[in-house]
Amino acid sequence: MIEFQNVSKVYQGDVKAIDDINMTVNDGEFVILLGPSGCGKTTLLRMVNVLESITEGDIRVQGKSSKELNPIELRRNIGYVIQSNGLFPNMTIEDNTMIVPDLLGWDRKKKRNRFNYLMDLVGLNPDDYRKRFPHELSGGQQQRIGVIRAMASDPPVMLMDEPFGALDPIIRHRIQDEFLAIQQEVKKTILFVSHDIDEAIRMGDRIALIREGKIMQYDTPTEILTHPKNEFVSEFVGQDRVLKSMSLYSVQDLVDAFNLESSKQEVADTKMIHSDTSLRVAISMLLNQEADQIVIVDQQDNQLGSLTLNLIEKFLHREVKGKER
Amino acid sequence: MFTISQLFNYIQSDLGNIITYTIEHAQLVGLAILIAIIIGVPLGIYLTTNEELAETILQIASIFITIPSIALFGIMIPILSNIGQGIGFLPALIALVLYSQLPIIRNTYTAINNVDPNIRDAAKGIGMTNFQRLIKVEIPIGMPLIMAGVRTATVLNIGIGAIAAFIGSGGLGVLINSGISRGNTNMVMTGAIFVSILALIADFLLKWIQKKATPKGIQ
Amino acid sequence: MNAKKTLATTTKIILWLLVIVFFWWALSNHMFSKIVEQPAQFISLLETHLKLVSISAGIAILTSIPLGILITRPKFRKFEWLIVNTANLGQTIPSLAILALAMGFLGIGIKAAIVALYIYSLLPILQNTIAGLDSVNPATKDAAKGMGLTSTQILFRVELPSAAYSILAGVRTAVVLNIGTAALAYLIGGGGLGVWIFTGIQLFDNSFLISGAVPVTLLAVIVDLLFRGLQLLLVPKGLRLARKAAIDSV
Repeated sequence: MIEFQNVSKVYQGDVKAIDDINMTVNDGEFVILLGPSGCGKTTLLRMVNVLESITEGDIRVQGKSSKELNPIELRRNIGYVIQSNGLFPNMTIEDNTMIVPDLLGWDRKKKRNRFNYLMDLVGLNPDDYRKRFPHELSGGQQQRIGVIRAMASDPPVMLMDEPFGALDPIIRHRIQDEFLAIQQEVKKTILFVSHDIDEAIRMGDRIALIREGKIMQYDTPTEILTHPKNEFVSEFVGQDRVLKSMSLYSVQDLVDAFNLESSKQEVADTKMIHSDTSLRVAISMLLNQEADQIVIVDQQDNQLGSLTLNLIEKFLHREVKGKER
Repeated sequence: MFTISQLFNYIQSDLGNIITYTIEHAQLVGLAILIAIIIGVPLGIYLTTNEELAETILQIASIFITIPSIALFGIMIPILSNIGQGIGFLPALIALVLYSQLPIIRNTYTAINNVDPNIRDAAKGIGMTNFQRLIKVEIPIGMPLIMAGVRTATVLNIGIGAIAAFIGSGGLGVLINSGISRGNTNMVMTGAIFVSILALIADFLLKWIQKKATPKGIQ
Repeated sequence: MNAKKTLATTTKIILWLLVIVFFWWALSNHMFSKIVEQPAQFISLLETHLKLVSISAGIAILTSIPLGILITRPKFRKFEWLIVNTANLGQTIPSLAILALAMGFLGIGIKAAIVALYIYSLLPILQNTIAGLDSVNPATKDAAKGMGLTSTQILFRVELPSAAYSILAGVRTAVVLNIGTAALAYLIGGGGLGVWIFTGIQLFDNSFLISGAVPVTLLAVIVDLLFRGLQLLLVPKGLRLARKAAIDSV
C-alpha cells in the first residue's frame, strides 16, 4: 500500500510542483498517474522512492514513512522501471536482471531460478538471453528486461515511469497485454506514470488525473470516462470518450446485461466472436465484416446469441449514457 | 637556479633575438600547416568516397603519430643525408607536415562523413552536383570539425617545432638548446615560456577562427 | 568497387615495402652497429628509459584516475569546469617546454625528468577519466539509484566499467607520449635512449641515430598496440557493442 498524506513539493522560491496530494494505492492495485507533460506526475512518482525530496507531508509505503527508512533500503524494496529502460550496458542480461538480488546477497542457485522464472514470465528463453548484452536486444525485449529487473527481488510495490512510452504502437500494445497478464498473477501494488489516456484506460484499476501538481480526479476508468468531474477531465478524456469506454466492456458484459441464453445450436457459416473480446473490437468487426450479425460463443464454443450494432447501441445507452444522468 | 628578476633582465637584454626566434618558429609552423592543409583536406574529402582506403590511411596515420618526434628526426637525418638535407629547415618541415596529417585528414573525413544524410539527400534532391554539394553544404557544415583538426595540428607542431631546433631548424627551441649547452637557465626558461605562450595564443586564435568559421545556423 | 580495394591494398603494400627497404638499407649500412657493439650500454639506456616511463606514468595513473572520480562526484562538480579547462590548457604546453621548466625549478637530473614526465602524463588521463564518467547515460545512473544501489556501488558496477574505454584511451595516449618525451630527458640529465639520438645529432653519426631512434619508435608503436589490445580485453563486451551501435547510428 502507498499512502500520500498532504504531500507537497516546492522548488526554490515558490514554484509548487506538487500541491497537497492525498491519495492511497491499495495492496495489489494498479494505479495510473495520468496527465499532460510537466503536470508533476513523474515528480510525484519519484518522491515515493525518494529520488525527489518531499517538501511537506509524508508518503508511507507498506505502512512505513519514507522519512524513517534509509533511502537505499527503501529503494531495494520498491521496483523501479523507467522509459529508457536504463539497462547497464556493461552487464549481461542475467547480471542486469539479478543486480538487486545480488546486492541482497542471494546465492547463485536462487538467482538463477529467479532469472529463469522471470524470463519465462515475459516469454523470453532464459538460456538464449542469459549471456547476451542489452545492445543485442530489440527495444521491446530491452523494456521487458527492464520490467523483470524491477521485479527481481519480488518487491511488493512497483513504480513505473512511462515504461512503454518509447516503443512503437504494435509492440507497446503487446507488452501492455503481457504485463496485464503478469499482474493478474503477481498482484503487485503499482504506480504507473502515463500521458496516454488509452494506455491508462487499458491498464489501470484506478486513474489519478493530475494537472499542475493537483489531483483533478482519482477514480476507476469507467467513472472517469462516464463522470468526468470537471472541464479539464472531460477535455483530457476527449470527445470520443464513449468510444474509448467500449474497450472497458467485453461482449460478456453485454450478454449478462441482456440475459442472453446459452444454447447448443449447430454453428451456421456466420462469423463468430468470443465472449471475452472487448466491445471495441466487436464493433469494428461488425463494421469491417459488413455483416449484420456475429454469433457470440463462449470458451466451450457454445452459442450465446447474436451480436448486432443495434444491440451494442442499446447496451451503451444503458451502461454509459445512462450513468451520465 | 633562477629568479624572476634575472629572467626579466635576460628577456630585456635579448629581446631582439627572442623576437627573431619567435618569428622563425611561427614561419616554420605556419608553412607546415599550410602544406598540410593543402594535402590533408582534399585527401580527407576523397577518403569519404573510398572506405577501404580511408581505413588503411587512418590506420597508418594513427600508427605514424605515435612515433616520438625526436626519434623521427633521428631516422630522417640518415635518410635525408643522402640528398644533403640531413639537418636544417627541410627535415623539420617534412616532419611537421607528416605529424599534421592525422588530425587534419581524420577530422576532415569525419566532418564530411557525419553530415546528416537527410541534408545530403535534400541537396541531391534540389539538383546540386556532387561538387556544388561539397562546396555549398558539406564543407560549411563540417567546417568546425575541420578547423578543430587544424588547431590540434598547429598546437602539436609548435611543440615539435621546438624540438626541431636540435636539428638546426631555428625557432624558439634554439633558446632551450643553447641555454642547456651553456648552462644558462634563464635562456632555457625564456625559450620554454615563449614557446608555451606561442602555443596558447595559437590555440586561442584558432578557437576564435573556428567559431567564426562555423555557420551561424549550427552554432 | 574493386579498383578502390586495389588502391587500399597497394597503399598498404607500398608502405610495408618502404619499411622493409628502410630496415634493409639501415642494416646493410651497419646503422644498428651500436646495439651490436655495446649491448650492455643499450640495455642500460633502455632500462633507464623504461624506468622513467613506468615511474612517471604509474604515479600519473594512480593520481589522475582518483582525481577524475572525485571531481565528477556531486560534491565537487562545481570545480569540474576549472579542472577540465586547466587540463585543456595544460595540454597545449609543448613537452620540451615542460622539461625545460622542470629543469628551471628542480635543476638537472632524473628526478626533474620524472616530475616533468609525470605532469605531462597526468592531463590526458585526467581529461579522459572525466569525459568517460560524464558520458555515462544519466538514465542508467537514475535506474541504478532507483533500484537502491549506493553511490559506491553505482561507481564500481556501472560508472567505471562504462568509462573504462575512455580511461584506457587516456592511459594509452599518456604512456605513448611519455615514451617519446622520455627520449628528450637526456637534455636535462635524465638519461634514456635519447642519449644515443642526441649523440648522433651532435656527432652526425648515423649508427648512433638509428640505434637510438628505431628502438624508441618500436617501443612507442608496440606499447600503443599493446594498449589497444588491452582495451579490447578489459572493456566489457556489452560496452563495445554499445559503442558500435552508437557509431553505426551516426
